[in-house]
Amino acid sequence: MAHEVTLQTAGNMWKVLVKIGDTVKAGDTLFIMEVMKMEVPHEAPDDGVVKAVHVEEGAEGLDAGMIAVEIE
Amino acid sequence: MFEVIKPGLETSVQDWPGRYGYWNQGFPPSGPMDSWSFRLGNVLVGNEPGTAGLECQYIGPSLKFRRDTVIALTGANMQAKLEGESCPMWESISILSGQTLELTFASEGARAYITIAGGIAVEPLLGSRSTFHKAGVGGMGGSALRAEQIVPVGDGKGEPGRRVREAARPLIRTDKRWEIEAVAGPNDDWIDTQGHERFLSADWKLSSKSDRTGFRLEGPDWSFTPKATNKLPEHGEEPSNIIDQGYPLGAINLAGQTPIILVNDGPSMGGFINPYTVPQCAFWKLGQAKPGEILNFKLVTVAEAQKSAAEIGALCDESSIE
Repeated sequence: MAHEVTLQTAGNMWKVLVKIGDTVKAGDTLFIMEVMKMEVPHEAPDDGVVKAVHVEEGAEGLDAGMIAVEIE
Repeated sequence: MFEVIKPGLETSVQDWPGRYGYWNQGFPPSGPMDSWSFRLGNVLVGNEPGTAGLECQYIGPSLKFRRDTVIALTGANMQAKLEGESCPMWESISILSGQTLELTFASEGARAYITIAGGIAVEPLLGSRSTFHKAGVGGMGGSALRAEQIVPVGDGKGEPGRRVREAARPLIRTDKRWEIEAVAGPNDDWIDTQGHERFLSADWKLSSKSDRTGFRLEGPDWSFTPKATNKLPEHGEEPSNIIDQGYPLGAINLAGQTPIILVNDGPSMGGFINPYTVPQCAFWKLGQAKPGEILNFKLVTVAEAQKSAAEIGALCDESSIE
């Protein structure tokens, strides 16, 4: 089943830890946002392979709700 | 009372105007950053406007209520759901014991407020229930909410179905630009004419390294008068250094070339100059601005700023309820 991982907060993209083709397990951290000097990690909802990454490390002023990573 | 299922991102108990009168001992006022939305939330549920409620930042909490009550949601839209059903904002809502309120991310604005009939009944410290987490005081054990906490609520009689008329609500901007009032001083004579012109004309980007202590801004460099560049050594080496002084709340504090607006949980003194001060009437906008958004500063007088604050205050009462 395909999963879309969306940004849970507005803020900056601090670290992107996966690339297309990576195998991930449920609970693996995919990327880490930064807001209010805090790290907000986003995790894989399920096991799968990363099909698309729509965010870049260092991107600023992102809006919550945008699709960041697709897993299949 | 209610139980915290998910705490959200630094959700904290705040009251208004907060811990006032202890600035000289290093205690900031704390309190809600958008006190306009916060006060209207309290009016909706039949509380005094300053009664303790919750400030939710960027990602809201999930709460399970343990008795029937009336609540209101104001400020940023965090797409709240009660038992899975969409919940209106700016309106008092009935909650039954056992129901769960879930907030998610802020789709408009950054800070949402949950107010509850009777208010949050944690013990006050120095006259306020506001959380000041850097000192570990106020609110729930001196910090943000944590999962599984039981939060006490006072007695109150709210009435559901009361709404804030649209014209009385703060307009949360969606174009990523905010006009922020600024009063000159206290150290405006340390900045030269070009420096002032740049400050008032530039786009200042709000950094993600901004929190309830300070709002860090990215923009052009500052330039200085001889007062900053040719001074006694005890002031320090950098043009923006000054012998330690008291800071006003809302000071635009210049650390080297980086301006940081000192907000609700900010420091009361230090050794940087403050060329401008953001008055309280503009704090609600800071509270709703998100990282990457642009602030443009507009010079106002103290009298104009006070008038604007009084106008907002006048809206935070029964006259705004329909």
